Amino acid sequence: MTAPPIPDADPASAHFFTALDNGRLEILRCRKCATPHLAVQVCDVCGGAEMVPETASGTGSIYSFTLSHIAHHPAFAEQLPFCGGIVELSEGPRLFAPLLGSGPFAVGAAVTFERQASDGRGYAAFRLTAQPAE
Amino acid sequence: MKSRLDAAIAGLGTAGLTRTDTRSAAEMARVAVIAAATDAAIETASIDGLVLCRSGGAGDAVLGLDLQRALGLRDLKLNRITLCEGASALAAIQTAALAVSTGMANCVACVFADAPVTPGTQMRAAFGRQKTSTGMEGLRYTAGLFGGAAVNALSARRYLAIHDLDERVLADVAITSRTWATRNPEASYRKPLTYEDYFAARYIAEPFRLFDCAAPVNGAVAVIVTTRARAADGAQPAVPILAYAEGHPGTPDRHGFDRALTHGGVIAARTIFGQTGLSSADIDICELYDAFTIMPLLALEAYGFYPAGEAIRAYANGAAGPGGDGMPINTGGGHLSGYYLQGMTPVAEAVVQARGAAGERQCAKADTILVTNEGGRLDYHAGMILGSAAQWQ
Repeated sequence: MTAPPIPDADPASAHFFTALDNGRLEILRCRKCATPHLAVQVCDVCGGAEMVPETASGTGSIYSFTLSHIAHHPAFAEQLPFCGGIVELSEGPRLFAPLLGSGPFAVGAAVTFERQASDGRGYAAFRLTAQPAE
Repeated sequence: MKSRLDAAIAGLGTAGLTRTDTRSAAEMARVAVIAAATDAAIETASIDGLVLCRSGGAGDAVLGLDLQRALGLRDLKLNRITLCEGASALAAIQTAALAVSTGMANCVACVFADAPVTPGTQMRAAFGRQKTSTGMEGLRYTAGLFGGAAVNALSARRYLAIHDLDERVLADVAITSRTWATRNPEASYRKPLTYEDYFAARYIAEPFRLFDCAAPVNGAVAVIVTTRARAADGAQPAVPILAYAEGHPGTPDRHGFDRALTHGGVIAARTIFGQTGLSSADIDICELYDAFTIMPLLALEAYGFYPAGEAIRAYANGAAGPGGDGMPINTGGGHLSGYYLQGMTPVAEAVVQARGAAGERQCAKADTILVTNEGGRLDYHAGMILGSAAQWQ
């Protein structure tokens, strides 16, 4: 199966992507004020530059989602319509991610991290909680 | 009413506005600037400022500073590109307004051009490009969220969910725009749209169906901005620029914030109404950026016309449409049924209405018009109030 385009890391997201490439979903918590981040070099709340990596619980909820009926990339052509959206991790940060499961998808629905991998790279998908992997 | 700006729109020119025009964006920009100068009855050579804006994905090869040479302009005091995605058109006009207000330049052309539609290419390809391949923003492509429709659908889905609304809310916006478009000869889609048509159309990115998404065209829109005094002597009724403000909320992507629904219009409204002493009750017409049906709803709420979740009242029973009993909204058909030339689409319609030149769709009162522009994922917002010469000159 064709993989979707996985972004390259920039300086802020280097830790996040390296962790996922190695199989882990990690957040960065500001040492000074404990604000949870995913990919920053400096905390926007307190200006702190020291981040403490923390393995994420892997649980979260759907902040919003859409069922796409058009595939702009071969990776999605055979699964129309497919669900993608923004997940809020239980720790607080949000990220774009593919959403897996048979639905129904809903704003606020509980989801669980499910790592996807392609060519040595990893990325985060989330599955509706209580819906077992096919 | 006090205005800090001594600026007015004296000329309006367009080129293309169809899916079939195969000229380049740069060439259409050149034609539109000349058309705007002709409309204002000024010599092209008397333009002493040029401000370009272009589509987010476009570079200098699409529309760049070569436009100055193409126009044969040899004496520019201002030459600039504004880059704030869909909000670039108002940002360009603001730059021009500040320049003429302070004497930096006297007669500034602002132009947007885009040619996303190529023969033989499906429309979806035109707006489904990948804008970045790095960092957290690039993750949207792992989720399959390529075009603007998919990303704005996230705002729409969340809006409907938290306010417990259904898709009829979006249908009302699409249908009102279409009703206006039936009266606009330049609109792309002029066949009346019914609820049945709306709901029978295919989904693009839920909750968006086909008619929730803008009508892409190839084309250009240019305006000539000059001082109020010079505009008053022009060939067309002057359209004074009464106020302008931006609002960029910079909302974090984490719990406790609501990036998909936090709208810069809240900030801009404070400035724009504060500067002028006007309030939302003084606005005769809204020309709102409506690349997707959710956008005008969020803008109406941000500017205080309605509380959160209630903007649909503006559209109830055709209130915002022709002959409706409410405030007219997007009187040319907007992006949805008119044409999608980003921030310039609502500007062009506001100018036509303020001049009283809108023909069959002319609003009875068009003295104070709010124009909005949105860019990115609610990252950029700009608002402007344009006036009629009769009321504000």
